[in-house]
Amino acid sequence: MRNRSGGLYTAPVTVWITVFFVVPLAIVVLYSFLEKGLYGGVRYRFSLDAYRALANPLIIRVAWTTFRIALVSTIGTVLLALPAAYYIARSSRRTMLLVLIIVPFWTNFLIRVYAWMAILGTNGFLNSILLSLGIIGEPVRFLYNQWAVIVVLIYTSLPFAILPLYASIEKFDFTLIEAARDLGASRFAAIVRIMIPNIRAGIVTAILFTFIPNFGEYAVPQLVGGRDSFMIGNVIARELTVTRNWPLAAAMALIITVITAGGMVVYSAANRTRGRGSGRRV
Amino acid sequence: MYQTPAIAGSPVLTVRKNVLTVRRNVLTHQRKRDILVDVAPGRPNTRRRQSGKLKGSEVRIDGVDKAFGEFPALIDVSLTVKKGEFFSLLGPSGCGKTTLLRIIAGFETPDVGSVLIDDVDILPIPPNRRHVNTVFQSYALFPHLSVFENIAFPLRLRGLGEKVVTQRVESYIELVRLHGQARKMPSQISGGQKQRVAIARALINEPDVLLLDEPLSALDAKLRQQLLIELDTIHDSVGVTFIYVTHDQQEALSVSDRVAVMNLGRVLQIGAPFEIYEQPADEFVANFIGDTNIQPAVVTSVEGELSRLDAEGLGPVVVTCDVPPEPGHTVRHTIRPEKIRISKKRPEGLAPNTNILQGLVDERIYSGFQSKFFVELPSGYVIKAFQQHARFLDDGPEIEWKDPVWVWWNANDGYVVTPRGGDE
Amino acid sequence: MSTKSGFPRFVYIFVTFFLIAPLIVLVVASFNASRSMQWERFSLEWYRRLFFQSRDLWRAVRNSVVIALSSATVATIIGSLAAIGIRWGRFRLKSYVQTVTLMPLLLPEIILGVSLLIFFASIGVPLGLGTIFIAHTCFNLPFVILIVLARLEEFDFSIIEAAYDLGARERDTLIRVIVPVSMPGILSAFLTAVTLSLEDFVITFFVAGPGSTTLPLYVYSAIRFGVSPVINALSVVMIAVTVALVLLARNMLKYIAK
Ligand SMILES: Nc1ncnc2c1ncn2[C@@H]1O[C@H](COP(=O)(O)OP(=O)(O)O)[C@@H](O)[C@H]1O
Ligand SMILES: [Mg+2]
Repeated sequence: MRNRSGGLYTAPVTVWITVFFVVPLAIVVLYSFLEKGLYGGVRYRFSLDAYRALANPLIIRVAWTTFRIALVSTIGTVLLALPAAYYIARSSRRTMLLVLIIVPFWTNFLIRVYAWMAILGTNGFLNSILLSLGIIGEPVRFLYNQWAVIVVLIYTSLPFAILPLYASIEKFDFTLIEAARDLGASRFAAIVRIMIPNIRAGIVTAILFTFIPNFGEYAVPQLVGGRDSFMIGNVIARELTVTRNWPLAAAMALIITVITAGGMVVYSAANRTRGRGSGRRV
Repeated sequence: MYQTPAIAGSPVLTVRKNVLTVRRNVLTHQRKRDILVDVAPGRPNTRRRQSGKLKGSEVRIDGVDKAFGEFPALIDVSLTVKKGEFFSLLGPSGCGKTTLLRIIAGFETPDVGSVLIDDVDILPIPPNRRHVNTVFQSYALFPHLSVFENIAFPLRLRGLGEKVVTQRVESYIELVRLHGQARKMPSQISGGQKQRVAIARALINEPDVLLLDEPLSALDAKLRQQLLIELDTIHDSVGVTFIYVTHDQQEALSVSDRVAVMNLGRVLQIGAPFEIYEQPADEFVANFIGDTNIQPAVVTSVEGELSRLDAEGLGPVVVTCDVPPEPGHTVRHTIRPEKIRISKKRPEGLAPNTNILQGLVDERIYSGFQSKFFVELPSGYVIKAFQQHARFLDDGPEIEWKDPVWVWWNANDGYVVTPRGGDE
Repeated sequence: MSTKSGFPRFVYIFVTFFLIAPLIVLVVASFNASRSMQWERFSLEWYRRLFFQSRDLWRAVRNSVVIALSSATVATIIGSLAAIGIRWGRFRLKSYVQTVTLMPLLLPEIILGVSLLIFFASIGVPLGLGTIFIAHTCFNLPFVILIVLARLEEFDFSIIEAAYDLGARERDTLIRVIVPVSMPGILSAFLTAVTLSLEDFVITFFVAGPGSTTLPLYVYSAIRFGVSPVINALSVVMIAVTVALVLLARNMLKYIAK
């Protein structure tokens, strides 16, 4: 290939992604400014109804819940993923340790969620163990609340956080830690002041790979959540399929998109400061 | 000026003989014998050379400019590479050598100027149809193909039959001494072997011109030396025009018929290795090639070939010049360190027109075959003088740090160049 | 550091246990005769029902496989070409292509699902296998591009220039150099795309129509509307199949990489 024919090679993808991604997003933007149709769909008349409806306290509460769930699950995920990734990167049996992390992902996401339901359910594994051990007198209702959602979200995001963290810790030059220790830093100080700044890109990636999908989550709260864990994704689906207020669904989708784009800007800023070469031959 | 001893029919061969003789003198006996065996009669290539038939082409580059955005990578480059010549482009990193090579190969287009091969304008011809092949600095071997298939690649493209391919590839494997490596993958062979594959692959199409972009720079010193000699041998046997890019002056001087010294996008001097070394065109060339003592000097008087200068740090010196400088002008006086003699005793019976100075040894670096002395003159200028250790344990009275010494050189050994060059 | 990293190790073990325990529970439950999690006795009843009394389930499996293979194939072909163009091309719209193709990867899945649903509805395309195929190709593309690009990053432009230099035409370069060199990347991109497609629930949920139930959709409704332990058996079979496929793929990749 020659430099000039790059456009030719990318043409099919450009067309595909424009037609099936950019145009649909544009339609979402358009719909959010239209009046809602009677039985779903829209009437082609400009209106800010959808955005006014966003100010509805109910929706604001859902947004807040969503943000809180996404945030707590992200913090939990990263706090677990960081030491785990560190341990893998420092081990001599990295491949095996990594495989153990990835193995659960060889099964369907819903089946993993279902496994948690089987564990946490009222007739579930955990309850039957606790009952038979006599720790509890009657089954505890672990499921259908915010905590169940958070636990399952942490569960599903862990590998997505561990992998980028592992990748950046693996590249980290550990003699820097030794140098810091040599210069009088405690082990903790060396890790916080030397390692963490150097693996920043990995940490940011892990946070985004956890926070963004969790913020737009639909299935998990639907399956293991309750009234207190209704998330934006669930509202969007409800507006699309049940209440049939498409402009509102579009407006909410747009908000998620904007928040995600903001996260991406942060991400590329964090990556840019690391200054990556363009790899030109000299 | 030095003239190529042009003899009708085989101008280049004559030069080559000279160069080879010069180079071989520095080789050990063992190495010498290796080379003699290499070019022994019976090899097809030697026959070609004996018959004086050169397959190479002449490359003429005329007034080439090339800028990347605002940055001028090449400025008015003109040079002619003769048929079958081993021509080097020598200059510091970033001076535009690769860019010039890529223009000849067809990967870049000059902004102005022309490139002709055997009087044909090649600029409109795409790289894949030019009879020019390149040995890339990074080897650029195809990672998914074996050594054999890498070398066979150009033949496969031409759809040649299996028998012809095998035969041709094997003869080139022979040429670059890769016997027994044919089935290995590029990842399984050493750097030196990769380079040989790259060379064989570039030669198998029998190009008119072979371009080599710092082909040895990734190899260690010993291997570099060995491959350089082999490259020279290969050049002799295939008779193709070689254009060799390097930033290493030793490499360029030891194998080239002629060298073009470049800096900051310009060609500063083109000449045979000894011209470049002994008669540098300007201060930059003098400094870049080898080691030298170079000082600004004002011309005080001229008497025929002999000029008297007042050199900064040295004081009055005499020097002979073919083309005498103008009195009153500021020039640069240069004297190579190995041409300066050094001794603790004042030498007796000096030839006329010898410059002699006294100083203190500021530093002495022993490096086996020679010692480098840094002698501080009363002016504070530190002059370099190298002493060869030509005989076992025989380097005269031991000269130590802080010893007062005499340094002297003949006016014939000094040289006058114009200030700077390339980067004013 | 030479000291035993006690805390990271403890966390790793906890995390691994956390990740794997649910699967073990499923495997055990699939052989339990009881409907509840209380152990009764060993039984293969659920497997029998899975294989002989679950027509809808197998139809969903067939749909999933058809979608996965077709969308992965299309995404791999056009995505690999795009990766080649992005790696070595200099052309207008390059930054548009680079940004926009990656966005479906970064946005929450629900956005792609919602926008495609609205898009299809607004232009009157009936939902079904066709719309699922389009949606899956969309989210597979960024993965394919990234994976193939990562492979291409290992080589610099000089191998392509070398091919040209040696007389190759554009087509020769593509067929004899670029594609073979990228093959490990292309294959793993294809496998990843198949996996992602088999796995996807959210996006499919929005763009599926009547009669185009895929396996995840089937599992979802089974979980929501009456869990049968058949699901346990299905899970175990799926784990087994995936492990087998992954092992096969690994060996294949190893073989090709050689
Ligand atoms: N494609 C390019 N774009 C911008 N600058 C370039 C490009 N190629 C070369 N240059 C610049 O031109 C100058 C000469 O480069 P090059 O010919 O590679 O030097 P050399 O091979 O002598 O080290 C360098 O300063 C380099 O940065
Ligand atoms: Mg270069």
